Amino acid sequence: MIEFKDVSLVYPNGTQGLKDVNVTIKDGEFVVIVGLSGAGKSTFIRSINRIVTPTSGALLVDEEDILKYKGKDLRRLRTKVGMIFQNYNLVKRSNVMKNVLAGRLGHTGTFRSIVNLFSKEDRALAFESLRRVNIEEKLYNRADELSGGQQQRVSIARVLTQKPNYILADEPVASLDPPTSHQVMSYLKKINREDKITTIVNLHFIDMAMEYADRIIGMRAGEVVFDGPVSQVNEKTFEKIYGRAIREDDMRGGADLEED
Amino acid sequence: MKKTDTGLLTTGKTPSIYTSKTKSRLLLIFGVVLALYFLSTYQTNSTPGELVIGLPNLFALLAKFFPPNLEVLVASSVVAAFSETIQMAIIATTVAAILCVPLSLLGAQNITTNKYLYGFMRFFLNVLRTIPDIVLALIFVGIFGLGVFPGILALIIFSLGILAKLISETIESVDMNPLEAMQASGAGTIQMIYYGLVPQVLPQFSSLVLYVFEINIRASVVLGLVGAGGIGLVLDQQIRLYNLPNAMAIIIGIFILVVMIEYVSNKIREAIV
Repeated sequence: MIEFKDVSLVYPNGTQGLKDVNVTIKDGEFVVIVGLSGAGKSTFIRSINRIVTPTSGALLVDEEDILKYKGKDLRRLRTKVGMIFQNYNLVKRSNVMKNVLAGRLGHTGTFRSIVNLFSKEDRALAFESLRRVNIEEKLYNRADELSGGQQQRVSIARVLTQKPNYILADEPVASLDPPTSHQVMSYLKKINREDKITTIVNLHFIDMAMEYADRIIGMRAGEVVFDGPVSQVNEKTFEKIYGRAIREDDMRGGADLEED
Repeated sequence: MKKTDTGLLTTGKTPSIYTSKTKSRLLLIFGVVLALYFLSTYQTNSTPGELVIGLPNLFALLAKFFPPNLEVLVASSVVAAFSETIQMAIIATTVAAILCVPLSLLGAQNITTNKYLYGFMRFFLNVLRTIPDIVLALIFVGIFGLGVFPGILALIIFSLGILAKLISETIESVDMNPLEAMQASGAGTIQMIYYGLVPQVLPQFSSLVLYVFEINIRASVVLGLVGAGGIGLVLDQQIRLYNLPNAMAIIIGIFILVVMIEYVSNKIREAIV
């Protein structure tokens, strides 16, 4: 369980990243955070694994306030929170297997990892994770030989190999075309259902949020301006969150193409 | 039909490429450079005329180097000196390549976020590079006496300065995103460097080490002149004894060695980058 209690974050340059955020995310939920760029979605997500540190309030992950974490505790927190990035963040010159095994680094001693001594279980887990996103045949390809969608699947496999309790995805489909975007979101949703991993995704596409989310949190200027199940959401809700009329580029599209 | 032109030609206005302000500024800069040149030649007494006067002497001296006595190249002492030069370069390059790893990490702004540590490291590397190799050799020869050992020490310090600077700049240009991903999954600093950074800089690293190896071969010749071992020492002796055909043969030998090593290292570098 993740609990934000009056969490605020002011960046050193004075920008208010988060403002009195109060949100509780229960285990197993699939939450989509929507909002315009600069609304605080990334700050919200990155507070959970302490890539950024809120300046006031309390942030509880599994009943422990993570804002006081340092050193070892911080690493322990991060091993149970996996993250997926807009630009995949793979090591381009390394092969897929090595990239996926990097997900085990937090669970592996420094010396063992430097001499490439990953256990047989870890290597089996890495391969199994690649199989789950259907990219196991690219095992020994260099990451930069893959397409964007394939790279994002490898980064999902890396997160799976980490065996996290939570997955944070920061604009995972912003660099992908519509069909690939739906593929990536489907994998995330499937993993959420099968492994009961709590998943929080930042998106700015309305139609994708509606299609995949159980619950939608709307943000504007660092504040949570909407929080409710997807059944309560319609176009009016988004207009309220965005503070303007909905435009065509707020939609990813492509979902119906395959059904036609 | 003619009227479709911009009208510039018909109004008699032909714009030049630069404004008159730019032109006069360029002229001023050119004049200053020219004045500096004449001042320098006047003060140092080195005019092109000196060169013309000295030219016959130059040819006379050069003639004494010919024909080169190529038999020297197969003399066992010369072969030994050549291999000593190569061995000095190998040892010095290897040690410098190892030592430069921590130094270049500490001198890279994206890895060493502590401002003061980074600043200190940069300053230290600048100091290393400011000391000329020949001065280093003189210092170490003074401490340890004539021989190969002071030469190797001088080469290590000399190449460490170059390598650490070039590699820290390579490190600063890497993609930090994979390192962020590893940090977010709970990896430690050493793991982040080893898994995220090393694969990105390894090709550049190998290429730069080979480049420094080439530099070390050439530098070790110069170091021999001040008594720090290797082929330079033999060359110096031959010139002092006025055995100029022998010296010429050694110079030719050095030239062939440098070209060969450059060729091989170029081939290796092409293969890895």
